[in-house]
Amino acid sequence: MEQPPRERGYDKTLIAAIFALLVTGLVILYSTSAYNGQVKFQDAFYYLKKQGFATILGIFCMYAVAHVDYHLWKKLAVPGYLVALVLSTLVLLVGNEYNGSKRWLSFGPLSFQPSEYAKVAVIVFLAYLVTRNIKKMGKLTSLFLVLVSILPIVGLVGTNNLSTAIIILGIAMILIFISSPKYMQFVWMCVLGAGMMGIFLALESYRLERIAIWKNPEKYEKGYQTLQGLYAIGSGGLFGRGFGASVQKLGFLPEAQNDMIFSIICEELGLVGTILILVLFLVIIWRFYVIASSCRDLFGTMLVSGTMAHLMIQLVLNVAVVTNSIPNTGITLPFISYGGTSVMFLLIEMGVVLSVSNLIK
Amino acid sequence: MKSRTYNRKKILIIFLGFLGLVTVLTARLVYLMVFEADYYQKKAETLHEREREIKAARGVIADANGTALAVNKTVCTVSVIHSQIRDSGQVIEVLSRELGMDAADVRKSVEKVSSMEKIKTNVDKKVGDRIRGYELEGVKVDEDYKRYYPYEELASKVLGFTGGDNQGIVGLEVMYEEYLKGINGTILTVTDARGVELEGEEENRREPIPGSTLYTSLDYNIQSFAQQAAENVMEEKQADKVAVILMNPQDGGILAMVNVPEFNLNEPFVLNTADSGANLGEEQKQDALNQMWRNGCINDTYEPGSTFKIITTAACLEEGVVKLSDTFSCPGYAVVEDRKIRCHKVGGHGAETFVQGIQNSCNPVFINIGLRLGAEKFYDYFSQFGLLGMTGIDLPGEAGTIMHKKEDIGLVELATMTFGQSFQITPVQMATTVCSLINGGRRVTPHLGVRVADADGNVLEEFAYPKGEKILSEETSATLDMLLESVVSEGSGKNAAIPGYRIGGKTATSQTLPRSANKYISSFIGFAPADNPKVLGMVVIYNPQGVYYGGTIAAPVLRDIFDNVLPYLGITAT
Repeated sequence: MEQPPRERGYDKTLIAAIFALLVTGLVILYSTSAYNGQVKFQDAFYYLKKQGFATILGIFCMYAVAHVDYHLWKKLAVPGYLVALVLSTLVLLVGNEYNGSKRWLSFGPLSFQPSEYAKVAVIVFLAYLVTRNIKKMGKLTSLFLVLVSILPIVGLVGTNNLSTAIIILGIAMILIFISSPKYMQFVWMCVLGAGMMGIFLALESYRLERIAIWKNPEKYEKGYQTLQGLYAIGSGGLFGRGFGASVQKLGFLPEAQNDMIFSIICEELGLVGTILILVLFLVIIWRFYVIASSCRDLFGTMLVSGTMAHLMIQLVLNVAVVTNSIPNTGITLPFISYGGTSVMFLLIEMGVVLSVSNLIK
Repeated sequence: MKSRTYNRKKILIIFLGFLGLVTVLTARLVYLMVFEADYYQKKAETLHEREREIKAARGVIADANGTALAVNKTVCTVSVIHSQIRDSGQVIEVLSRELGMDAADVRKSVEKVSSMEKIKTNVDKKVGDRIRGYELEGVKVDEDYKRYYPYEELASKVLGFTGGDNQGIVGLEVMYEEYLKGINGTILTVTDARGVELEGEEENRREPIPGSTLYTSLDYNIQSFAQQAAENVMEEKQADKVAVILMNPQDGGILAMVNVPEFNLNEPFVLNTADSGANLGEEQKQDALNQMWRNGCINDTYEPGSTFKIITTAACLEEGVVKLSDTFSCPGYAVVEDRKIRCHKVGGHGAETFVQGIQNSCNPVFINIGLRLGAEKFYDYFSQFGLLGMTGIDLPGEAGTIMHKKEDIGLVELATMTFGQSFQITPVQMATTVCSLINGGRRVTPHLGVRVADADGNVLEEFAYPKGEKILSEETSATLDMLLESVVSEGSGKNAAIPGYRIGGKTATSQTLPRSANKYISSFIGFAPADNPKVLGMVVIYNPQGVYYGGTIAAPVLRDIFDNVLPYLGITAT
């Protein structure tokens, strides 16, 4: 029933944009982390070295994955999902704690964040699941069943990494939305989701406190990070302080190389530079959109759509948090924030998209 | 399985939704980075900038010839910045050794988690430079100014000293604080979150403006000679203390003001007693320090005794109740109402003219003329001569006159007042009033400050002390000069005479209260040249042992001083 795939060549624009973003990201990461590396590890290059290593490893993985026919992943979708469940359970039992959260598994000198892997696993799993049941996707029950199938991973990851759980849930929602021919049921789901969110927030007072901090970060001690981020953004102005010249990264903004790195981009490169970085992201997502729409194979479309959803959600949420447009929750900026696992699996996802772009029928 | 049209439509919806969100976020960025930029930039700047004060150098206090009496010495403040210390063991070792401090004390400061901890202030510059030479990380040596008095005890109670923040506490230091203190500068530096200054960031610096130089009427040579003379007589007579004032009777400028025992201005919190007050409690020690810092010439009052007869004479001559040729008879006492007031000469002076009466310092003569003047007139002259008010000297804490109320002055009070008892004034008030009576009759304002100039010597302000009211006629003033000259040349003040000089003066010996304690104050006021006074001196010896007559012990002190000071001031012998 399937036609043999025909090689059309990789999406050159996408490759160029990915490498441009990778290089920019590493340079920004170095600028942002040099001070903290010097202070904590007496090595200004500490963070850059680790990130650089993960990036190189990721590029190899991307290359390898891009050369594999993506239909192979259909077979690995269920086992891959099960591995994600196992790893996410393991991390709860024997994970390394850092900054109060158990998120890392150690393999010798390497440490690994299962939740990052879980995102990829979920994308592949859902693409597979949806493709298999595409005819029934208009039914409410199948929508419900697909959601239920990923609830275990959302629960496990959400235990100590709520943000990633939200991202996974978001990816699932977008894939279901794309796969279903209907509209109205999603409007109702949004209303329902909003209601659930309200109950969820009201259940724990500390969640409501986050909202209060969001509205008035200057009045709360816990608003410190948000406020420091705003100082950095505001200090940037139109053209920024100049590359490397951020003052906020010098200990004022704690762990500037992590979630809040976007504010340092604003401070150093200004509005103009920041918009250029956003444009790089837009180019990548635009290519995703083009590949997803032109892929006539549903599984490929779903894989690319899932990756696109992943990148979109993370970019929007990160920028929204840093600009204090929504309450603070820890979400990293893809390709730029410090985090080896994240970069590696993002690159694997890029590999998948590239392989789809190569095999568009 | 093929993807269908509705899939592509939905992907477009998601993509457009995403573009919408990105547009909203970009708008938010524009708002934050363009419209709110100033607000956040200012907030960030205040967070990053640290203000450091640069102390202004305090103005110099100089004598009339420009000799610096109070200057600044560069000292260092050694502190540690906890977060920057690498090798705390070495820091503790070096600091405790160089600063001569207990290692445990240094350790406490080094290990304290604070942004900056002072270890020691007022460290000698050499020691500070040595510590800087170790280049220890986290150790900061800041330079600072400390007041330094090169002549230590000289004019200690006049100059006063400064406190921890270099602010004047007593004496001229506090009186001229506004001129001396200068304006501190600031350095604004950008630091990281640990307070470490960033290299390459430009410093925002406001230079300090040093304090102005205060030129005084004091003369270092006269002051040190007078102090030496006072110390000698204090030791010789085992006196409690000795005060010497030398001033210009024409304009009120003070040439010297000595209060021995003086104290070392460089160590104002060390008592000047033999054991430095080792056995005193905290409160007692503070009292003792306050006593030590007191300038007796202006802060304390005394009964002037016979030197006050100068004033009684001036009043009675001016009022015309006595002529120089009037004759009196002294039986050794005078009876006023029911009281018998004795003369210092037990057998009495017998018959004498008024001139002889003042030469003899005969109490009955002055009681006689005082009664002629009457209480009301006496009080009026007391007031006219400026004795009720303060002199207005430019030193803090001048004491007021302790005087009877006008309506309470009976004959007995009047009689005792004529020879300087039953009321109290300050020594500086006494000297100033005599200056004003002998200088032709104009009230002068005693003062030390003459002018202030900036560091380059440009005069910023000249202090004017215009002669005050005319309080005595020229004639009476001239007569008074002549009478007082005869006291030295022929009378009780002859121990003050110096061959070739015309010196006027008056002695005094007064018993302090309570009379039963048998304690005395011996004093002498003298001036030269008698016909045109250019310098007036006053010596007050408190509680001398042995012979206590002013003419015997105080007059020779002023003679010694005048013997040196008159030629120094260019007043030549004839």
